[in-house]
Amino acid sequence: MIRRGLLIGLAFGAGAVHIAAVGVLLAMHQRWIVIDVLTLGQAALLLIAGGAGAMAGRALPGLVAGAAAGVPIAALTVIMSIVPLHSIFIALSSDLSNMLTFELGLAAGVAILVGGGAMAGLVGALLRNSPPIVRRAIFPGAIAVVVAGVFQELIQLMLQQYEGPVGDFRDFIYTWEGLSLQGAITIFLLAALCSEVLGFVWRMRAQRLATEDHRRERMIKAGIALVILAVLPAVAGSYVGQVLMLVGLYILMGMGLNLEVGLAGLLDLGFVAFFAVGAYTTALLTADAPHALAHLPYWGAMPIAVLLSIFVGVLFGLPVLGVRGDYLAVATMGLGEIVRVIVQSDFAAPLLGGAQGILQIPKPAIGSFILGSPVSLFYLTLIASAIAAFVAWRLENSRLGRAWMALRDDEDVAQALGINLIRSKLLAYGLGAAFAGLAGSIFATMLTSVYPSSFQLLISINVLALIIVGGMGSLPGVVLGSIVLIGLPELLREFGEYRYLFYGAVLIVMMRLRPEGLWPSDVRQRELHATDETLELDAGTDAVPAQPR
Amino acid sequence: MARFNAVDIVLWALRIGVVLVVVVGTVSTLIKNRYDAAQWFDFVMFGLTIGSIYAQIALGYTMVYGVLRLINFAHGDIVMTGAFAGYFVATPLDRSGFLESQPVLAMSAILVVAIVVATSIAVLTERIAYRPFRRVVGLAPLICAIGVSFFLEQTFRGMFGSAVKSYPEPEWERAAFQVFGFNVPRIDVLVIGLALLFMGALYLIVQRTRMGTAMRAVAEDGEAAALMGIDVDKVVVFTFVLGGAMAGIAGVFYAFVYKQVYFLMGFTPGIKAFGAAVLGGIGNIPGAMLGGFFLGMVESVGPTLFLDGMGIPAPYQLRDLIAFTLLIMVLIFRPQGLLGERMAKKRA
Amino acid sequence: MRAFRKLYGPMILCAAVAFGMAHPATAATVGPVTDDLGVIRIAKGAPIQIGAYWVLSGADTALGLDEKRGVEIAFKDLGGKVLGHPLKLNAEDDGCNAEGGQTAATKLAANPQTVIVLGPACSSAATPGAPILWQQGIVNICTACTAPKLTASDRKPEYDGFARTVFSDSEQGKADANYVHDVAKAQSVVTVHDGSPYAQQLQQVFADNFKQLGGKVLSQEAIAPTDVDMKPLLTRIASEKPDLLYFPVFTAAAAQIVRQAKSTPGLEKTALMGGGSLLSADFIEAAGPSIVGFRIGYPDLSPDAMGKNYPKFVDEYKKAYNEAPISGYHANAYDGAMLAIKAIEKVAKSDKDGNLYIGKKALRDAVFSTKFDGISGPIACDQYGECSQFKPSVLEFTSADPKTFSVGQNPKKIWP
Repeated sequence: MIRRGLLIGLAFGAGAVHIAAVGVLLAMHQRWIVIDVLTLGQAALLLIAGGAGAMAGRALPGLVAGAAAGVPIAALTVIMSIVPLHSIFIALSSDLSNMLTFELGLAAGVAILVGGGAMAGLVGALLRNSPPIVRRAIFPGAIAVVVAGVFQELIQLMLQQYEGPVGDFRDFIYTWEGLSLQGAITIFLLAALCSEVLGFVWRMRAQRLATEDHRRERMIKAGIALVILAVLPAVAGSYVGQVLMLVGLYILMGMGLNLEVGLAGLLDLGFVAFFAVGAYTTALLTADAPHALAHLPYWGAMPIAVLLSIFVGVLFGLPVLGVRGDYLAVATMGLGEIVRVIVQSDFAAPLLGGAQGILQIPKPAIGSFILGSPVSLFYLTLIASAIAAFVAWRLENSRLGRAWMALRDDEDVAQALGINLIRSKLLAYGLGAAFAGLAGSIFATMLTSVYPSSFQLLISINVLALIIVGGMGSLPGVVLGSIVLIGLPELLREFGEYRYLFYGAVLIVMMRLRPEGLWPSDVRQRELHATDETLELDAGTDAVPAQPR
Repeated sequence: MARFNAVDIVLWALRIGVVLVVVVGTVSTLIKNRYDAAQWFDFVMFGLTIGSIYAQIALGYTMVYGVLRLINFAHGDIVMTGAFAGYFVATPLDRSGFLESQPVLAMSAILVVAIVVATSIAVLTERIAYRPFRRVVGLAPLICAIGVSFFLEQTFRGMFGSAVKSYPEPEWERAAFQVFGFNVPRIDVLVIGLALLFMGALYLIVQRTRMGTAMRAVAEDGEAAALMGIDVDKVVVFTFVLGGAMAGIAGVFYAFVYKQVYFLMGFTPGIKAFGAAVLGGIGNIPGAMLGGFFLGMVESVGPTLFLDGMGIPAPYQLRDLIAFTLLIMVLIFRPQGLLGERMAKKRA
Repeated sequence: MRAFRKLYGPMILCAAVAFGMAHPATAATVGPVTDDLGVIRIAKGAPIQIGAYWVLSGADTALGLDEKRGVEIAFKDLGGKVLGHPLKLNAEDDGCNAEGGQTAATKLAANPQTVIVLGPACSSAATPGAPILWQQGIVNICTACTAPKLTASDRKPEYDGFARTVFSDSEQGKADANYVHDVAKAQSVVTVHDGSPYAQQLQQVFADNFKQLGGKVLSQEAIAPTDVDMKPLLTRIASEKPDLLYFPVFTAAAAQIVRQAKSTPGLEKTALMGGGSLLSADFIEAAGPSIVGFRIGYPDLSPDAMGKNYPKFVDEYKKAYNEAPISGYHANAYDGAMLAIKAIEKVAKSDKDGNLYIGKKALRDAVFSTKFDGISGPIACDQYGECSQFKPSVLEFTSADPKTFSVGQNPKKIWP
């Protein structure tokens, strides 16, 4: 047990060295969680040691694991004081040394790192073995404090518009620098209390609901999430509105790609092309620019953009009809890149504006009211998403949807069953493209300008990642995936250079913990577990569950 | 059946259109006669150089795909790690004058370090990020690979900065041979020659050794291979070792020819090499080599040969367009790639 | 579906609330200040919050990070304090694209304490960003976006709050064309851009002016910024035998062209010239030995033309970040920050409790009327927000050792 604790501790410690070497640790150290008490960087080190302790299990191994987690980073501190690593590893600066020694000198620093690690490890192990009532209080409390501390700017920004009791509460917990000690304690207690009460209510309910329909329960949860999504920008202001607007655009695209990949099994890495077609069509039809073909109002251009996207989608589908599996991924990626290259090129510049893009795209207007603010555009996106979700939901359970699923499971069998492969595939491309085209159209009017640099391969990758993280073939999964992969990184915008590090780490961790996605569709879930549960194998995989009405 | 015909007509129109562009472009370029033979020779030489690097990277994609059915999206970034490792050896060697005086020894040292680092990182990613997915169907492993790619890029950016670093440029590298009046840069010959050598060695390992045979067996049918007593985990690690080593070599060569090392350097060649692997028939080792050279040639010669004659402005901006169009054309004519034999198994 | 139907009510309600919420800047009187666009009140001891958005992630990170450092040094030079209030820089990442610029600008605009905004590095981010800020009455001083249309005389009123301490491409391109034609005596040129709005615009302006002067533009080529194999392109260019090759592209691609041009048969005598984004030690390392003799067009940075304090700035930079400036616009960023602070000092009023009040319209007018000698040259805005006084010069690199990077010696000013 002790040996295992040691190994776990060293592995966690290696993680600590990694975040130190890439500079995240120092960047985190420059932010307070609680003013003059705890920085985010110190919290990260504590969390690493505590996590090692919790994983090691009981008290003594936990203590060992925590101490061992402190050893690599302490060793790094010692090495840094001897060898000028700074000349190669730019993040290992004197500032980092100061942080790791707590400005108390090397010996004291090493002692604190290892000793503090041991204590944190012990606490982690104890917490793990503590009764649920303790854990239910401490974890949410700690998480709430960290969130309140890390996102203090954002939260303060949201609260800034209010005076009166809300304003007083804000001034009580925050100073302009961040969370004060009294604020941290208050938030911890509040969160702990809430968690205990909610936990109690939830367990009561769960006993009552045990026999009721599981599906209904999920519906209600989805409904609550939707209401929160709908209300949030209105109360939280334009920045959150803008972020949610981007999330909404990705939800739209995700739904489109979900038809292609999730239902029809057509792996598409060139999805950004349809997005570009939608955006450029809208731009060319509405902009007050020399390249414009017409000066339609937005509502006139949007349907044309969607139709043209469908057309391009079908056109895309035609050549790659016979291409399967991963070959398809490359073929579609190629098509996506071709669209980007054309849009950017001097060759097509007389028509599409080339590198200079197209500017002066008007915002949509209803009567004399211009949808100018991010929040109002968010509601436009929300409505578009709702319509798209409805369409996608109806499609999923239609004849066509079933044909797609058959196609996904086995193309040859599907054909033998009399499914028209060509028609089904082209429809999948066309309809998927329609959603992306709609998203592109809103994107163009949101930015009032389009530049070729907005249509990178990265967008296709993001959309694919979000539907898989969310759970392939599942509509709520798309929403959840967009929030996690698009919304959260946006909130980390001030971390700039480290955003994609977090993004990569989140993708790896999420896929390892839940390869089926955060909110998998019922069918999918059964398929993935089919190998374990042989009983379900015959019943589950080929039949679509009957639709409760 | 009318719909079938419509689709066929479109496909044929597409094929004829592309062929027409190629033929008309080529003929009119040749008629214009703007380039002399030496310049055409240069185009081919450049294409072969970049192609040999693509081929080496493509091998890593294709082997991992063969064994695991996984598109190892992070493979391009393994190339980057090799280039970085080589950089930190090459710079002090250059400063001490060793690189200039002992090119063979110095290059070997650089390559060895790059191979060791790239291989270790490749094996580590397999162990941490890919092994848990051995039995998972679906796209989760691909997304995890994308995550690994971001993670590696940003780790290196964080550790070594975002500035563009460059390999030293020793005297011996700049010399050129004269063959029949054609100018042949030494570095190009070196890179192409060594790349062919390493790829030949790899081919022999896969074909002749026990481990290579086991690898091919797993690629053919993993479960049957496991039943025959082959340690699949070991085979997978071996595959990543081979792929990582080739990536490390490719990284050093790439950085030696093009002199730039930065955290995103692996992404574009990675994507291209992935295309090359598919072009050759993914899972097929000679196919990956062929695909790499083919793609390099198309990129280098294509824009001039096909577009110059038609008076299209800035043809080299359309380099990727030509490369990907040809890629798609190949897939339309031969959906299994140039040398791919079997129809790829479908991934759900 | 009942669960969904229940949601319609709240959703419509929220929509109504949200539509009512868009409140652009309006006149207000707070404390001792009355202003047409509103007043920012900074409580005693609270920081003066300066917003900023630059590219801080992805391939162009060096460009934005360099500017961020320029501003940080400016704050340091001011002792981190102005009028008794600490200075706080809220820097956001814009990814050098339009959507990033819009999101970052929205975030900055949503903070009622944002006094003024610096950045971005890319015109494509500024185009959607600046109007969002100005809608809230926030002035945006751009530190590296050079697109001519941003300060054109026919710019829309939504750009009224936009000024920049960097010169427009149209002036740079014209100056470069003059130099190439009249001084370098080149008769024929080929230009190359990388598909970025900056490079495309600059080479276009250059080519137009060069043609007007009677020179011959043989062709206008383009590449992708990630291209490494320039040999085919250069061989093609060599067949046209230009006197000069003009390529105002970014570090990675430009270094490739500089390196590979030297070994391309037919280009031995062709002069090479690049743009302002290449004025960095980073580029010297990337381009290697071939860089000697390579020229770039850039505003005159020599001490007699401007910025006596520039060498001192570079020393500070090296001390603070352990490397020489990593890109070309740190000086403009420094001056942008100084312009902002000088304008704030001009208009801010304190009450007796030590609270600070800044009128937004007054601040805008102060920015547009402040004149001083910056380290990138004299700063004085015209009515369209063009603040840098453009004095052209051409610099030539003299050594391939990145450590010798120092504006004035390497690269050395060769004209005027």
